[in-house]
Amino acid sequence: MILLSPVNVLNDLLQSLGFSAETINYFIWPLIQIGLVVTLVALWVAYATYLERKISAFMQARLGPMRVGPWGLLQPIADGIKLLVKEDFIPESADRWIFFFAPYIAVASAFIVFSVIPFGPDWAVIADVNIGLLFVLAVSSVGVLALILAGWSSNSKYALLGGLRSSAQMVSYEVAMGLSLIGALMFARTLSLSGIVAAQGSDSIWFLLYQPAGFLLFLISGIAENNRAPFDLPEAESELVAGFHTEYSGMRWSLFFMAEYAAMVVVSAVAATVYLGGWYFPFVNRLETSGHHNLFVLVSLLVFLVKASLILYFYFWLRWTLPRFRYDQLMDIGWKWLIPSALINIVLSGFAIFTVQALDGYRGLKTIESLNRGLNLTATGKGIMIAFGLVGLFVTAALLSRINWRSRDFNLKTQRRNIRLVNLPKGKPAVQPGN
Amino acid sequence: MPLVKTPIPTFVQKLKRFFMIDLIRGLGLTLKYNVGALTDKDAVAGKGIYTEQYPKVRPDVAPRFHGAPRLNMDPETHDTLCIACNLCAIACPEDCIDVIPMDVEIIVAGKPRRKKVLDEFIFDTSRCMFCALCQEACPTACLELTQEFELATYSRAGFVWNREMLEQGRETVKYTS
Repeated sequence: MILLSPVNVLNDLLQSLGFSAETINYFIWPLIQIGLVVTLVALWVAYATYLERKISAFMQARLGPMRVGPWGLLQPIADGIKLLVKEDFIPESADRWIFFFAPYIAVASAFIVFSVIPFGPDWAVIADVNIGLLFVLAVSSVGVLALILAGWSSNSKYALLGGLRSSAQMVSYEVAMGLSLIGALMFARTLSLSGIVAAQGSDSIWFLLYQPAGFLLFLISGIAENNRAPFDLPEAESELVAGFHTEYSGMRWSLFFMAEYAAMVVVSAVAATVYLGGWYFPFVNRLETSGHHNLFVLVSLLVFLVKASLILYFYFWLRWTLPRFRYDQLMDIGWKWLIPSALINIVLSGFAIFTVQALDGYRGLKTIESLNRGLNLTATGKGIMIAFGLVGLFVTAALLSRINWRSRDFNLKTQRRNIRLVNLPKGKPAVQPGN
Repeated sequence: MPLVKTPIPTFVQKLKRFFMIDLIRGLGLTLKYNVGALTDKDAVAGKGIYTEQYPKVRPDVAPRFHGAPRLNMDPETHDTLCIACNLCAIACPEDCIDVIPMDVEIIVAGKPRRKKVLDEFIFDTSRCMFCALCQEACPTACLELTQEFELATYSRAGFVWNREMLEQGRETVKYTS
């Protein structure tokens, strides 16, 4: 506890310096928190690139970066310095100002989200906004603007195609992402991220168990939202060189790189908060009751980081397993599978909650414990809810595969052929040569 | 109507597709490799990581690998074992060996005699195909192709090894860390 006493010592020091309690609580502490969070997240992002390289190497029976520092641990720092001192090239025909600002928009939109994410209880959260989840969705979707601006202002066909693709992809997956979260919100009954964690804590369950379909949908659309493999069409290196950041170099390119990883960290943090219980973990609460408040906060912070990192690992794992989707397949998954299943999930969750509420008190059955901080269920209620979640997952999948099963016959070549042969006598080319 | 007739999936194939068995198996495979790399064990060859840390760690070359040539010396007297018999130069299919002998005056049983000894030995490694026929031909086990493989030089002339290089070996930078 000696390690953590500076927190209290600093508070006393600030008070003795003559700052009022309001100044300390609403100005100085937030500044310190912001500094800490920015440092933490920047480090996290840097080491996410390192881990990505390491994990991809391990999955291919290689070693990955090994030369800079022990086990290549200083590689991200070396990369950062290299990119800082590299020439920052702006193409002659580019739209200079937009080209200049696009990377900053990308990074800012990814980093601002961290202001509402509860890294832990008490002092580990910067701002507990009432509309936290809405804020996250709104701000993180501004990142798309950066990609479109970058693609447009580069004045390059590859960049423009990447920007176009990203805008189409975002529009289709943003909807599914928003809709998939609603199921979990029905249990939490609040949009505040700390509130969602508290709801899971007081119900002592992770919403992953109630909402397996919602979790899967959120993860898939989150991966698509971040332009990560297998949805990395905007920067498909085999087709578009580097997609929207083809013309970028040096520090500005690395800002895009950072923004991509920061957005990944955001999605994994939100997924950990909403579906994996955030910083809540069994038995950690005992530290709080035994009086070690600061240690409790620190351990909770670690728990949160571990949970989010597990989801981050899932990102890397998917990237190095699955090949990229074709463009029509991407749209197919977005519109024919994800959005309808998100809607079905909402209906099924609503029905499940209705059933549990209706069963409460029926023949002495007790399902609802209390409605304090979200929906708290008894063991019976939890069982019913988990069963509903699992059954709902398969029902949704079965229903959609029944509806969509003919869509595999969708064949662009046939369509092209039909279009070409409209009102055209047989054996005549559609386009006259030399015309 | 698709242009190409696709086979209608059987019920088992449909079930596999529904539960995404192949996707999960693919994920399992990459996870297996990842765990195998961390524990340095792998189902394929009992080895998790195939990367060689080359300059740091010297690779194990195959036992029958032929590399840089060497002229062996008598371990006691440190005289060359070469008797300038020219058999290696004759055996060489690439004609990359030049044995240059010289005559020295020696006294055998009180009478002056002339003996043919080795003056200079030229071995052109740029033309050598490391067939080791010279090594086979050598009657005194003097010429030998070692397991040394770092033969790169900055100029063509560097590929031509003289007697000193063949006896002492060439100096290369050794990386340790």
